[in-house]
Amino acid sequence: MHMAVRLVIERVRRVPLALFAAFYTVVTGGPLVWVAMMSLRTTADIFRDPYGFPSPAHWEKFADAWTKSNYGTYFWNSTIVVVVAVALVTAVGAMAAHCLARYAFRGSRIVRFVILTGLILPPQLVILAMFQILLDVNLYNTLTGLILVYVATHIAMTVYILEGFFAQIPQDLFDAARMDGYSDFEIFWRVTMPIGAPAIFTTVTLNFIVLWNEFLFAVVLLTDDDKRTLPLGLMHFTGSHQLDVGMAATGLMIAMLPIIVIYAFFSETMIKGMTAGAVR
Amino acid sequence: MQDVTFTVADGEFMVLLGPSGCGKSTVLRMIAGLEPITSGTVSIDGQVVNQVPAKSRDMAMVFQSYALYPHMTVYDNLAFGLHRRDIEKAEVARRVHAAAGKLELTGLLQRKPHALSGGQRQRVAVGRAIVRDPKVFLFDEPLSNLDAALRVSTRNELIKQQQEIGTTSIYVTHDQVEAMTMGDRICIMNQGRVVQIGRPLDVYKNPADTFVSRFLGNPPMNLLHGRIGKRGDRSVAHLASGDLGLPMRTASALGRHDAGEVIVGIRPEDVYEFVPPGDPTRFEYLPVRVEAVEPLGAETLLMVSLDGSDAEMIARIGRDTALRRGDRLPLALDTAAIHLFDPATTRAIA
Repeated sequence: MHMAVRLVIERVRRVPLALFAAFYTVVTGGPLVWVAMMSLRTTADIFRDPYGFPSPAHWEKFADAWTKSNYGTYFWNSTIVVVVAVALVTAVGAMAAHCLARYAFRGSRIVRFVILTGLILPPQLVILAMFQILLDVNLYNTLTGLILVYVATHIAMTVYILEGFFAQIPQDLFDAARMDGYSDFEIFWRVTMPIGAPAIFTTVTLNFIVLWNEFLFAVVLLTDDDKRTLPLGLMHFTGSHQLDVGMAATGLMIAMLPIIVIYAFFSETMIKGMTAGAVR
Repeated sequence: MQDVTFTVADGEFMVLLGPSGCGKSTVLRMIAGLEPITSGTVSIDGQVVNQVPAKSRDMAMVFQSYALYPHMTVYDNLAFGLHRRDIEKAEVARRVHAAAGKLELTGLLQRKPHALSGGQRQRVAVGRAIVRDPKVFLFDEPLSNLDAALRVSTRNELIKQQQEIGTTSIYVTHDQVEAMTMGDRICIMNQGRVVQIGRPLDVYKNPADTFVSRFLGNPPMNLLHGRIGKRGDRSVAHLASGDLGLPMRTASALGRHDAGEVIVGIRPEDVYEFVPPGDPTRFEYLPVRVEAVEPLGAETLLMVSLDGSDAEMIARIGRDTALRRGDRLPLALDTAAIHLFDPATTRAIA
């Protein structure tokens, strides 16, 4: 009897929470669903009835976007740039974070300060400097140049997240590994990295999502059409005189897919990495 | 850290004992090579190793937190230190299984540390040291994270292991019982200095100063302030409630303390309600007032004040006492067990 009453009370108390969750889902998920529906409809269809269902569904639009609008190239460029940049920023950031978290060396506070300054400088502030530097070193309008800029601009957040996590790994583990005969780099590789894996996944996911969607640096630093990344490719459908809403939606869906896959795959580890921290 | 000097013989079990913050763990970490040494030397087998990195000192350490790698199985934790040393895979497996068998970890080899109990983790930590077969074992309070019952059994287990293996060991603890029961010798530290080194019972019987006298023993040694004087041709200590005749050996050592201030130390077990059989001249009597009676079962602790003062003393007496709070009586003190300390330096006089 008591149990039943308590169960009912428990359910009633969850109602406002459930309502809020439903509202939030509609607000955030609604536009996504809308774009997904539009991606399967022609622009004429959409203008006739903006919120209509895709019947019939025009799946061929995806193939069209891929082939006719140079999307294959953009996708490949984006993949190269983001994968290499994320790999570099993770490797460099993890090593920097390990050093800052583990070693008390002269000037460590200044190094940390300089790195973390990157967190507060808006990209608009540095973009002219980046442009000039890339021109000087002949990396303007190259994917390599864009990769280096991405690494530079995302190292701050990466170090910030990883250092916070690494600092919580008990010092005894490092001392034990030293007694066991491991060098500093081996300790980083065989102790810090595996134990810090949740935090690593977090930064990989975050950086991947942010860089995949990055527009400002790409639009300033790349000019050739065959070097453009996906966010620039989307501009194709929004010409100066007309807007091909239907194809833009299809392009958006293609651009979003990897992000959705990555997030679905890593979201749990990522949340763990951001909330957990302590290593037992 | 000041003036810390000691030598550990081959195969010896040395305990570094002291209150928290006395520097004993720092000394251990210096020996391990985990802490830089600003001055002085650490030598192993006659070789100064100050500049030798930790990994090359051939020592294994058991940490208070156990420091098990959380992402590795028990097997990998045990084998981690061996992989580094170019030891063949088959030999690694042999050693790991031998250690696991000895420590009853065989069934747990594929588990991760988070799936182990505290006692099991502790055994893995010890096992990790054993498989290395090092020149020296270093223990940094390895039992302090265990509950009381487990601590006693693990302590006995550790003693057994060490005696079987016979490896030189340095063991840091703040627990005097561990120090007394485990150490071949103990080195007592206080405020970054070595206060006394010796075999456990020798240190217990002859504490070098008042700190040691109170740090070893539970309840600690009673310390009573007094003044040296004469009764006939015999030296006595004038205490708050009367005179205490001093044995000849202490009297002869008094020297310049003659007629000076002195601290008289006596352990609770050397204070008697009834004089035990034997030579009755060894005992001197002090009139006291009972302030509290604490029956512990095996024995009873008696808190008393010296008559006419607020000086207090604890006596460990038989369990079947009829004494109650407020009772006045003379307690018998075994003068052969009296210690004298210089109040200025707190060092033992005799």
